[in-house]
Amino acid sequence: MTVFATLVEVTLRALLGRRRTLLLVLLAGLPVLVAVLARLGGSSPGGASLFEVMVRTVLPLVALVFGTSALGSELEDGTAVYILAKPNPRWQVILAKAGVAGSLTGGLVVASTLASGILAGGLSSGSLGTAVGFAVAGAVAAFAYVVLFLAASVFTNRALILGLIYTLVWEGALAGILEGTRQFSLREATISLAAALAPAGSGIQGGLDLGGAVALLAVVIAGGLVLAAWRLARWEVRGTD
Amino acid sequence: MTDASATTLETTPVADSGAAAPAARPPVVEVDHVSRWYGNVVAVNDISFALQPGVTGLLGPNGAGKSTLLHILAGLLRPSSGRVSVLGETVWRNPGVYARMGLVPEREAVYSFLTGREFVMLNANLQRLPNAAAATAAAIRTVDLEAAADRAIGTYSKGMRQRAKIAGALVHDPQILLLDEPFNGMDPRQRLHMIALLRTMAAEGRTILFSSHILEEVERLADSILVLFAGRLAASGSFREIRRLMTDRPHTFHVRSSDDRRLAGALVGETAVFGIDLSSGRLAVSSSEFGAFTRLLPRLARDAGITLFEVTPTDDSLESVFSYLVRR
Repeated sequence: MTVFATLVEVTLRALLGRRRTLLLVLLAGLPVLVAVLARLGGSSPGGASLFEVMVRTVLPLVALVFGTSALGSELEDGTAVYILAKPNPRWQVILAKAGVAGSLTGGLVVASTLASGILAGGLSSGSLGTAVGFAVAGAVAAFAYVVLFLAASVFTNRALILGLIYTLVWEGALAGILEGTRQFSLREATISLAAALAPAGSGIQGGLDLGGAVALLAVVIAGGLVLAAWRLARWEVRGTD
Repeated sequence: MTDASATTLETTPVADSGAAAPAARPPVVEVDHVSRWYGNVVAVNDISFALQPGVTGLLGPNGAGKSTLLHILAGLLRPSSGRVSVLGETVWRNPGVYARMGLVPEREAVYSFLTGREFVMLNANLQRLPNAAAATAAAIRTVDLEAAADRAIGTYSKGMRQRAKIAGALVHDPQILLLDEPFNGMDPRQRLHMIALLRTMAAEGRTILFSSHILEEVERLADSILVLFAGRLAASGSFREIRRLMTDRPHTFHVRSSDDRRLAGALVGETAVFGIDLSSGRLAVSSSEFGAFTRLLPRLARDAGITLFEVTPTDDSLESVFSYLVRR
């Protein structure tokens, strides 16, 4: 087995083996549940509002947990030594961890978005197109969020708190008050990308134009990977006497 | 932190034969004036030594800086000052060196969801071994873990976990093995087996450095030792020499007998005794020669017709031994 495949396997098993993964699946299933309950109640849930819930809440939280625990947990408890004290460049570790955590987050977000979209709007081309737009944007944003939080976990053991502050304060509170902060909001970039991918007339509006959204997502993914690899190459073991 | 300089008996510990190292042979591990500090706390203070093939014990009490030093040697901590080289290469930010180095960290955490075999295989795959399965089987056999190899590590005892970690470190047959408190949690049989294994590996030409805070462990395995205390290298050299220093250091004994005053009078003329104190109401005797004093005292008491009830060394903790070595 190659080094990369070995890293992917151990990361996948570490992330899927935890109880919190079940909670994340339940969290990702929340929009689906809302859509089902609305259908059972005879009303028609708005697909766009479900997608907003997905982008504003589910996506960042799932990415936060997967992103900070993919490598951060191992750095914290010392098991990372078993993968780092090996004759391999450490950017491989970052790529494998980001790949697995991003794929898991993206997978949950895409599945939930498509399922809730179909339940909410059926298979009509307009609503399905909007769901696909959000799913694609969500998949791309999943990697951006994961890389951001993964990089934070290499720099500090308080990445979870920092991630929560970013999500709740920066993207949540400040973006509504200070318009300028939207330029640096992954949430705005995700909504803007989804708006560009959705069919015309979907009514979705993001705070960025398409170029700005794509640029922000690309910079965060590429920059985050480079920074995380740079830092991991200089990582020092924690908690020695 | 003391400023006393280290007691150095040999600058290059040699473990396999106990003989002096050939001068021309470059050291396998070279540590040159290495310090490591965290803010204003000094964990490792200006340490220099060199290692040749063989087993070297890194002895010191908890918190002496052993793990910090081992992590620096393993390239997992950057020295704040000084230089470390392994096989002529720097270790910091040089992953290539791990192809020839195995590391057993002290921290217990291992991937608990993997079986022992999967964990060793993980190490083999990350070492890019051409036949990882065969190397894994051999390493598991070497540490005597075959019976439990297919159980999840989460179900292992501390000793089994330790053996799994050692198998993972051995799987690529490294030239250098760094082990941090490797015998923690092992039962006496496993300990003996591991000591025999490490001695065999050393006899085959490998360089092994292990840390311990237990003198007897080091005595059984290492021919050379490095004594670390409060971040400083208190002594280095052959175990026998340092053991003698530790034993022959000044000792103070509290003695309770049928006639303390008369016993004090008998002891006062002896050269092995340099201090006698009766002021606290009991007899305290200071001696510079542990062996001579322990032979002398019963003889003198018997000749004087005095019965000894109790002889208690007052400063026999490992800390006091290390502290004495640093002060020398």
